[in-house]
Amino acid sequence: MDIDGFLRDSLSRRRFFHMSGVSLAGGSAVFLTACSDDTKTPVAGPDESDEADVEILNSALDLELMAVAAYKTGAAKLNGEVLAVGKLFLEQEQEHADGLMAAIKDAGGKPNRAKASYDFPALGSQTDVLRFAIDLENTAIAAYIDALPKLGEGDLRATAAAIISNEAEHVAVLLGALGEEQVPDAFVVGKVA
Amino acid sequence: MAPRERIVVADGAADTAQIAEFERDRRELLRRGLGLGAAVIAASSIPLLLSVRNAFAASSGDAEILSSAIHLEQVAVLAYEAAINGGLLTPAFAKVVGRFRDHEREHADTLTTALTDLGGTPPAKATAADIDGVAKGLGDARSQADVASFAIELEMAAIAAYLDAHRRLIEAKLLQTGASIMANEAQHLVVLRQAVKRDPVPKAFETGQA
Repeated sequence: MDIDGFLRDSLSRRRFFHMSGVSLAGGSAVFLTACSDDTKTPVAGPDESDEADVEILNSALDLELMAVAAYKTGAAKLNGEVLAVGKLFLEQEQEHADGLMAAIKDAGGKPNRAKASYDFPALGSQTDVLRFAIDLENTAIAAYIDALPKLGEGDLRATAAAIISNEAEHVAVLLGALGEEQVPDAFVVGKVA
Repeated sequence: MAPRERIVVADGAADTAQIAEFERDRRELLRRGLGLGAAVIAASSIPLLLSVRNAFAASSGDAEILSSAIHLEQVAVLAYEAAINGGLLTPAFAKVVGRFRDHEREHADTLTTALTDLGGTPPAKATAADIDGVAKGLGDARSQADVASFAIELEMAAIAAYLDAHRRLIEAKLLQTGASIMANEAQHLVVLRQAVKRDPVPKAFETGQA
């Protein structure tokens, strides 16, 4: 499978869109209840927004777990300084995953687990790995940016922004390793898979 | 201030009717003092520093936050311009810095459009005297490395400010635009850190905090 095909088929961007429906339905229900003049109508509690946040966080977690697996798989083709970079980025993706898992648990949710295996495209060289990593990072950036306004809690939005910025830093380093322009655009929007 | 209208400040993958509906709901909830995130997930669950320097601390609504952000971006343009004209940079690095200045100008222009669309008035143009209020050391720079170190401080201050803004911005589009700007500043940081042989990505969460 080529990289574009993989990203289209397997990544969670569409899940974010799908989930936005879930999240929006929750939001609308809260809104309608809050607008009601009937004071006997039970006001929807925070649970719905927590549930929506958990779904979004779990989709982000799926992406982070996939990135961890991708960097582990790709490491076999990396050498020297680039291998050190790959290991560092693997650790940082794992930190994101750990943070998301903790947030999901705090919200009363159950964190998704990593898949037993991922059907990654063939990565025959260091350049293949770097390009695949850039695509994964950009897809994650786009997914987080989509999800950002749907997160109900301010600290979670700030954390998502801090992760987006870290993924953008990864992209700049990876582009540099390929000898390409490291900061090509004034607005980092990632890549729509 | 004029009533808040949805604004379009960038391309809009998320610019959908669903998002518009969600925004209306969230604004209404915030107005009613509820907020969708009434149950706050423990901040301690995430390794995010809460005591960031934040240039938007005194701001409250989206327009005020935008106004502060525009000021910050204008200061960055002036600082990079002064760095280029300071005679300390190699031609290659001056070209890099020139590109960063152009990025900051794009940010300022986009944010100004967003503020105007919100019914707000753009802030008075920043001046060179404002640079020290954001990051110190440009006037004392004696080498390219000094300039790069100053620019790192400048970008960190901007990132910390945008990070904090994400807790308080309401408009979905502004949140997304703010994140794409913050991420661009983070990419600037990578190049600047590499220029002075520092670790380009020292932390898994870029908060603008050293």
